[in-house]
Amino acid sequence: MRSVMKTKVVQNQSDPVAAGGTVAESVINTVGLTKTYGTVNALQGIDLAVPRNSIVGFLGPNGSGKTTAIKLLLGLSRPTAGKATLFGLDSVEDSLAIRSRVGYLAQDPRFYTHLTARETLAFTARFFYRGPAEAIRARIDETLELVGLEDKADRPTKGFSGGERQRLGIAQAQINYPDLLILDEPAAALDPVGRRDVLDVMERLRAYTTIFYSTHILDDVERVSDYVAILDHGRMVASSATAVLLDGDSTTYELTIRGDEQAAVRALRSHPWVSDITTATQNGSLALTISVTDVQAAESELLRSVIANDDVVVTAFGRRHFNLEDVFLQLVKEHGE
Amino acid sequence: MTSTTTAAIIESPLVPVHTTGWQSGLGNLVRKELGQWWGTRMWWVQTLIWVLLLNGVATVVMLEGAGMPPGEVVTEAVQTFLLMGAMTIGIGIVLTVQGAVIGEKESGTAAWVMSKPASRLSFALAKVIAYSVGFLATALLIPSIVFVAQAQFLLPAPLDYGKFALAVSIVALSVLFYVVLTIALGCMFKGRGPVAGLGIGLVLVGQFFKGMLPLPLVMATPWLLGDVATSFALASPPEFNRMIPIIVTAAAAVALVGVAIWRFQREEF
Repeated sequence: MRSVMKTKVVQNQSDPVAAGGTVAESVINTVGLTKTYGTVNALQGIDLAVPRNSIVGFLGPNGSGKTTAIKLLLGLSRPTAGKATLFGLDSVEDSLAIRSRVGYLAQDPRFYTHLTARETLAFTARFFYRGPAEAIRARIDETLELVGLEDKADRPTKGFSGGERQRLGIAQAQINYPDLLILDEPAAALDPVGRRDVLDVMERLRAYTTIFYSTHILDDVERVSDYVAILDHGRMVASSATAVLLDGDSTTYELTIRGDEQAAVRALRSHPWVSDITTATQNGSLALTISVTDVQAAESELLRSVIANDDVVVTAFGRRHFNLEDVFLQLVKEHGE
Repeated sequence: MTSTTTAAIIESPLVPVHTTGWQSGLGNLVRKELGQWWGTRMWWVQTLIWVLLLNGVATVVMLEGAGMPPGEVVTEAVQTFLLMGAMTIGIGIVLTVQGAVIGEKESGTAAWVMSKPASRLSFALAKVIAYSVGFLATALLIPSIVFVAQAQFLLPAPLDYGKFALAVSIVALSVLFYVVLTIALGCMFKGRGPVAGLGIGLVLVGQFFKGMLPLPLVMATPWLLGDVATSFALASPPEFNRMIPIIVTAAAAVALVGVAIWRFQREEF
């Protein structure tokens, strides 16, 4: 699985999210982005390109450098080496211009506690709009509704729960119709219903903006992300279209059989293009994972050679598919080694 | 900008802000900071503290001078008000303002604001403006007006209001200096300790040791501003050039702003 995964994911350089993506089409583009704090290498030469109007999940274990990367993109800190551009603008030199087109949600969003949710949004909106007051009010009402905070709009944020702060954070991040939304763990503090709502909001915003978000909730990434970039120990270990990443390993097949299992395995091993077979018992059946070296031969002969034996019953057959957790854990493990 | 987003904005009647450069976000941030002073209980709490402290002590001095020559009572009351004002407001400023920048760095609101189109200079300058206005009004202007009213009823000799106003404006410079100092220290350091320690230390060292230090050194500090203010109010020129502490304090405040900006531009959130 390891070598195949590398082929499918890490060497997928033609993918827009991977290094070398088309800069003109990219909203975010980083080249060798590096950040060190003393002797700690928080980010080590990150190359990333985020396509316009896509949702890109930025995955990584805690401390892998996701928040550091986001702060560099926003100009909240300066890279030690390398460069990041957003909309073709330099993250350090043109930070103000970039920030006028970006919406940002911090990992643990904090607001001025004496302001109500409505006042917080008004304060945020005034960075972008100078009027008219009526239109700003309407926009605030719209965003409050979007995140389901209408009934708490006039409460000071001091008493807000983590989930309510998160919702307010999402509201303020998109009040200016941003061209790019950068969300740092947008669903981390939310209950399952809140998480679902946030993902729904992201889906709705997809048509209007590009969303780059960090998370460690793999199910969420699988559900909404067009692309995935995986970071570990400050290094980019994979970046690819989510579908490609999960499409699995085209040289591995899964077969579940009942009956004369030994005969089936013998038949499979007789093919020169079968390189490996692993077996596991599953509810009275035998699950086989078969690695092959010739996909074409496997596609035409693998199943046929098994069902040729009348004593064998095939209950499932197909190419192996992964979930993001498999991919993520494998990549992180490989990188750790 | 995506075409869809552009369309959404074109359809919207919202008028975008086009401010760029160092003043980006300044108006909005000043408005927010002033709201924190005047939209909460902060303004009346501060007013109450300073009126009780400064005017309370001045009242005691005025009442206790009943048997003294009229001129001496005026001198005593004016001196007490201005010297105590210059010192205690300095301490009050450091205590109140020490968390203005540090607190925002710690809580994450500074990073949040800096993720918007707001310059770092605007962030710091808005605090200088709002805290200056707040302290000038609640700790100096209102107590000074109350002092003038007290003088009408309690002082046995008239107070020269023009000279008193000039004296109050000298103390105002001291207020501005300590606001700028504390904001600047907040921009330079990561914890409240150094900010409060250096700020209060500067006020107290001046108060307790200025008599022991060489005059040329003391003149190059804001420590003498209370004495300068008193000398203007009472038309009693001191032994030193009164303009030197004024110029040095103003220059130091400008220099502190420069250092704070330089440091804050390099701040990593």
